[in-house]
Amino acid sequence: MSQILGYTLMLMRAYVRDRAALFFGFFFPLIFMVLFGVLNLGAFGHVNLGVVDQANNPDSASFIAAFSKIDTLRIYRGSQDDEIAALGKGDRDLVLVLPSDFRIAPQRPGTVAPSLVLYENTASPQQAGVGEAILRQAVDQLTFAVTQTAPVVGVRREDVAGRNLRYVDFLTPGVLGMTIMQLGISSVAFAFVVHRQKGVIRRIMATPISRRSYLAAHVLHRLVLAVLQVGVLLAVAVVGFHVAVVGSMLDLLVVTILGALLFLCLGFAVTGVVATEDAVPPVTQLVTLPQMFLSGVFFPRDAAPALLRPVANVLPLTFLNDALRDVSTNGATLFDIRGALLGLGVWIVISFVLAFRFFRLD
Amino acid sequence: MPPIVSVRDLRKRYGAIEAVRGISFDVEQREIFALLGPNGAGKTTTVEILEGLRPADGGSATVAGVDVLRDPAGVKERIGVQLQQSAFPDHYTAREMVDLFAIFYRRRVDALALLRAVGLEDRAGQLSEKMSGGQRQRLSIAVAMVNDPTVLFLDEPTTGLDPQARRNVWDLIRNIRERGTTVLLTTHYMDEAEILCDRVAIMDTGQIVALAPPRELIGQLLGRGFRKAVVQQQANLEDVFLDLTGHALRDE
Repeated sequence: MSQILGYTLMLMRAYVRDRAALFFGFFFPLIFMVLFGVLNLGAFGHVNLGVVDQANNPDSASFIAAFSKIDTLRIYRGSQDDEIAALGKGDRDLVLVLPSDFRIAPQRPGTVAPSLVLYENTASPQQAGVGEAILRQAVDQLTFAVTQTAPVVGVRREDVAGRNLRYVDFLTPGVLGMTIMQLGISSVAFAFVVHRQKGVIRRIMATPISRRSYLAAHVLHRLVLAVLQVGVLLAVAVVGFHVAVVGSMLDLLVVTILGALLFLCLGFAVTGVVATEDAVPPVTQLVTLPQMFLSGVFFPRDAAPALLRPVANVLPLTFLNDALRDVSTNGATLFDIRGALLGLGVWIVISFVLAFRFFRLD
Repeated sequence: MPPIVSVRDLRKRYGAIEAVRGISFDVEQREIFALLGPNGAGKTTTVEILEGLRPADGGSATVAGVDVLRDPAGVKERIGVQLQQSAFPDHYTAREMVDLFAIFYRRRVDALALLRAVGLEDRAGQLSEKMSGGQRQRLSIAVAMVNDPTVLFLDEPTTGLDPQARRNVWDLIRNIRERGTTVLLTTHYMDEAEILCDRVAIMDTGQIVALAPPRELIGQLLGRGFRKAVVQQQANLEDVFLDLTGHALRDE
C-alpha cells in the first residue's frame, strides 16, 4: 500500500510539471466554461417574448410591467402581425397576446375570464416551455393577489425553473462530465500508449513492482485528479459565474468518482486496441466526440436528432451528465438519481470487462 | 565460488522462429561477461529471460540463486537492469528518478550517493529528459543500482554515445565490478568487449558459437593461421579522434 501511495505521489509530482496535461485537464475545460458561459453561446439563457397588447389599458400595462422585471425574459412589443411574423422567423420563442377585454379583476359568476393567447415557436421548445412556465406563474400569482387566496402550488417550481434558466448553470455540470471523460479516455490512452511505445512501462516492469500495484497507482492518481479538476472547475463556476450548486457536494463527489472509474476503465480498454501514438487521437475522438455532442454537455439532449436519441439516452456520458446536473442544478439526492447511478454502474461493469479483455502493458 | 548465473539448455521460440536454441553458459561472481552477436542472434531474448521479463520455453536458469523460470519476480529483486529501447518517464529530476525506482523496490536509498557514483551529483536537480545521451546512460546505471544488485544486466550500454562518453561508461562498469557486482552485458562493439570483458560468449542464430576470454579467442583465430589483409597500424582513427578532442566528457 505504501508503494502504491508513494508511486501515486510521484505521478502527481510529474503531472504538475506536465504543461500539456495541465492545459487539457484544467485550462481547456475552463476555456469552454468562460467561452460558453460569458459569451452565452448556448443562447437559451433568454426567452424572447413578443407581447401584443390589444387591451392597452392600465391593467394590461401593469400586467406586462409585472413580468418585465424577470431577467430571463426579453420582451419585444409590436402588433400581432409583426410579432407572429417574427415568431415565424425564429426571432421570438413565444408571443403573448393580451385580448382587448383584458382586465385584472375577480370574475363575477356568469362572465367569462379574458383569455391570454400564447403562440409558441415549436423550433425552440426549451425556451418556449420555460417562457410559458414563467407566464403561467405570473398569471397564477396575479390571480392569488387579486382573489386574496393563498398560493397552493407553483411557488417552489418557479424557484427551480429560475435556477435552470442560466446557461452557465446548465453548462457547468456538462463541462465537469466532459472533463472526467477526457481524463479517463484521452489522458489514459495518451499516457499508456506513449509509455508503452517508448519502453517506459517495460523499464518499470523490470522492477519488482507488481502490475496490480502499478495500475492501482495510476488509477488512484487519476481519481485524485478527477476530484481536483471538479473542485477547481466548480470553484471557478461558483466564484466566477455565480453558479448555484443546489445539491450536496458529497453527492457530487460520489458521482465524480463513479464517473471517473467508468471512463478510466473505458480508457484502459481503448488503450488496448490502440498500438501507436498516431492512432490515439482518431480512436479517442471516435469514443468521446459523439458523447460530447449527444450526451448533453453543451446543449440539452433533446436537441439531438430524434433518430439518435435512443442512442444518446444510454451513452456513458449521458448518465454522468444527468447525475451531475440533477445534483448540481436540481438538488437531487443520490436516491433521486438512482436511475443514472444504475446506468453508470452498468457501464462500469461493461467497461471493466472490456478493459480486462483488451488492456495490455506490453 | 559457484557461478552467479547458470544457464542450461535454454530455449525460446517465437512462432516458427527459434530465437534461442538450447544455450548453456555460466557467469562467475564479479565477472564482466558479454554476450556478443549480430542483430537477431538471440542476445536480447536471452538477457530478457534472465531478467525475468520473458518466459522461456525450456531449459533452466538461475540468477543470484533464484530459479528464473519458476520465480521471475524474485529475480527482479536481486538484479539491476538497463534495457534496450526503454525510456524513463518524463518530468523527473535525476534525484527523483532514483527515488522513484527506490519505491518500485520498496527501498530507501541515498539518491545523491548513487548519483555521485556515476558522476551525476551536480546534475541531481536536472530533469532527465533534458540530459545528454551520456548523462542519461549514467543515470540509468545509477537507477539500476538502486537495489544494490548482485548482478547488473546492461543491454548495449554504450550504443549511441560519443567516444568520450563510452570510455566514461566503461570506467563506471569497472568501478561497479570492483565493488563486487557481477556485470552481464550485450554489445555490438568488439573493442568494448575486448577492453572491458573477462569473458565473452559469441551468439549466432540462437546458439553460442564460442565462449572464452577475448584474448583466448583472438589467439585461437591466429593459431588457425588467420592474418589480416592489411597490417594493423599502431593507432586507429579513434585514437586520433581522442588525441585531438581529449578524454574529457563533453556533456558536463
